Amino acid sequence: MITTMEIVALSIFIGVYALIMSEKIHRTIAAMVGASLILLLNIVPWEKLPEYLDLDTILLLAGMMTVVNIARESGLFEYIAIKTAKLSKGSPIKVLLLFSVVTAVVSAFLDNVTTVLLLTPMLIYITRQMNVNPIPFLLSEVFASNIGGTATLIGDPPNIMIGSAAGLSFNDFLVNMAPIAFIDLFITIGIIYLAYRGAMRFHKERADAIKLGIMSLNEEDAIKDRALFKKSIITIAAIIVAFFFHDRMGVEPAVIALTGASFLLLWAGASPEYALEKVEWATLFFFGGLFIIVGALVETGAIAQLAGWMTSHIHSEGEAVMIITWFSAFSSAIVDNIPFTATMIPLIKAMGSSLNIYPLWWALSLGACMGGNGTAIGASANVVVVGIAHREGIRITFGDFLKVGMTIMLATVGVGSLIIWLRYVGL
Amino acid sequence: MVKFASLINQKFKNIAGSRYEEILKAYEDFFLTEEEMIIPEVNSVLIALDRYSEEVPEEVYEAVSAYPGARFLLVYMIDENVLRLIRGTLGEKEVQKFQEKEEQLAEERLSKVEKRLRELGISPRRELVFGDKGEYIEELANEHDLIVISKHYGSETTKTHPVSPVVFRVVQHVGKPVIIY
Repeated sequence: MITTMEIVALSIFIGVYALIMSEKIHRTIAAMVGASLILLLNIVPWEKLPEYLDLDTILLLAGMMTVVNIARESGLFEYIAIKTAKLSKGSPIKVLLLFSVVTAVVSAFLDNVTTVLLLTPMLIYITRQMNVNPIPFLLSEVFASNIGGTATLIGDPPNIMIGSAAGLSFNDFLVNMAPIAFIDLFITIGIIYLAYRGAMRFHKERADAIKLGIMSLNEEDAIKDRALFKKSIITIAAIIVAFFFHDRMGVEPAVIALTGASFLLLWAGASPEYALEKVEWATLFFFGGLFIIVGALVETGAIAQLAGWMTSHIHSEGEAVMIITWFSAFSSAIVDNIPFTATMIPLIKAMGSSLNIYPLWWALSLGACMGGNGTAIGASANVVVVGIAHREGIRITFGDFLKVGMTIMLATVGVGSLIIWLRYVGL
Repeated sequence: MVKFASLINQKFKNIAGSRYEEILKAYEDFFLTEEEMIIPEVNSVLIALDRYSEEVPEEVYEAVSAYPGARFLLVYMIDENVLRLIRGTLGEKEVQKFQEKEEQLAEERLSKVEKRLRELGISPRRELVFGDKGEYIEELANEHDLIVISKHYGSETTKTHPVSPVVFRVVQHVGKPVIIY
C-alpha cells in the first residue's frame, strides 16, 4: 500500500531527476529545490537530517577540492601535461598511450573533471602540431578518465558514496576495482587504436618539425611557484599514502582529505579565502540535496518496498551482480551517475536482509563509473571534453561518441562483471 | 546536431563554469602561436661556448638534432681582453699559465659537445678563438641560421641578472633564432 507521503517523495524525486536530465535549470538548483520541499513538508524530519546527509562524501570532496585548488596555483598540472607531451616525442601512438595512462592515473586520485580540463588543451595542441584527427585522442582521454576513476575510493563520486555508505576502505577499492580498471584501460586503448588506426598516421616528412614544436615546450616554465609545487607534491603523496592506511588507523577518508587540505593551507601559507572560494560549492550542495531527496524515499519506505520487490525476483547472488552491473551501466550512460548511485545505495542496503550484498557494491561501482562511457552525456568528463572540442572547432557528434563509447562500455563492463562474478560467485 | 551542441554547451557551462577559460589562459604562455609554429629553414647552426657556459642540456641536443643536414660550428671563445689584462699586471708567464688552462678547458668542453653531436649523426666543425666574446659571436651569427648559447656565456650571472649581458647583446643585435639554455 503506497502512502501519500511516499507519492509526494516519489514525485519530488522524479521531478528533480527530470529537471537534471532536461538541463533546463542547473542540477544544483533542482536538487536544492527538491530537498527544500522535502524538509518543508517534514518528509525527512530535521532531527533525522544527519542520518541521510552523508558528510563523509561531502567533506571528502571538499577536502580534495581544496588540495587541488592550492596545488593548481603552483602549475603542477600544466607541468604534468607538458612532461607527458614531451615524453611522447610527437609519436601519435605514444601520445595515445601516454595521455590515456596519465589521465587514468591522475583521475584515480583527483576528480575527473579537473583532470580532463587540464589535460585536454594540451592534447588538442599536440594533435594540431601532428596534424592528425584529434577525436580518437580525445575519446581515449575521456574513457581513460572514467576508467581511472573507477580504480580507487576517491577516483569518482559514486565510489566515494559507495565507500562511505558500505564502509569500504581505500584498499578494498584497490583490491577489487583497480585490477579491473587496469585491464579495461588497455582494452580501451586497443579498441580506440583498432577503430582509428588510420588517423594515427602522420606525415613522416614533418616528423622533425612536429618533434621540435613539442620539445620546445618547457615544463619548468609551467611552475609558477617552486616552493608551492614541492609542497603540493609532498602533500598529495602523503594524502595518498594515508589513504592506504586509513582503515588501520581507524580514520575516515574524509578526515584524511581535510587534514591534508588544512596542512597544505598552513604549510603553503595559502589564502584560505581564495582556496575555499574555488571549492565547487555547487557540486557539494548538489550532493547534499540529493542525499535529502533519496533520504525521503528511505524515510517513507519506498526504497524498502522496491528492494523487497527486487529481492523476490532475484534468485541468486550471481544474478544480482549481473542485474546491478548492467542496470547501473545503462542507466549511468543516460542519467547522471551521482543521483543514480545515491538512489541505488539505500536500495542495495535494503537488499542486505536476504542477500550477501558485498559483491553488489562492486557491481554498482563498476556499472555507475564505467557506464558513463556509453554516451556523450554519461559522465561529467565526457561533457567537458566534448564541450572543449566544440569550442575548439572539433565536432564530436552524439553518434560518433555513441559508436565507440557503447562498444567500450560493453567491453569494459563485460570484462569487469566477469571478474566480479569469478571472484565472488564462481563457476 | 544543433540540439546536441546546445545541450553540451549548457552542461559544459554548468559543470566547468569559467574554469576552462582560466586554464586556457595559463596555457597561452607555453603554446606556440601560428606564426611561431612555422619553423625557419636552418642550414647552419652555431654553438658558442666559453668558460662560463653551462653543460649543454639534452633538450638542446634534441632540438638541434631536428637539423641533421645542417652545418654545425662549435666555437669556444677565450676573452682576449683578459689575456691583455693579465699580461699588463702579472706578466707573460701568468698569461701562458692561464692560456694553457683555458685551452685545456676548451678541449674538454668542445670534445664533450662534439661527441654527443656525433652520436646524433651530426659532424660539427670546431674552433678555438681568442677575441671579444660578444663581437665575434655577433659576426659569426650573421653567417648562421640558428645560434645556441648558454645564458651564462660571457660572464657569471647573479640572482638579479639571470642572463649574462653578453647574451642579451647577442640576442638584441642578431636577427636570427637563438636557443638560450
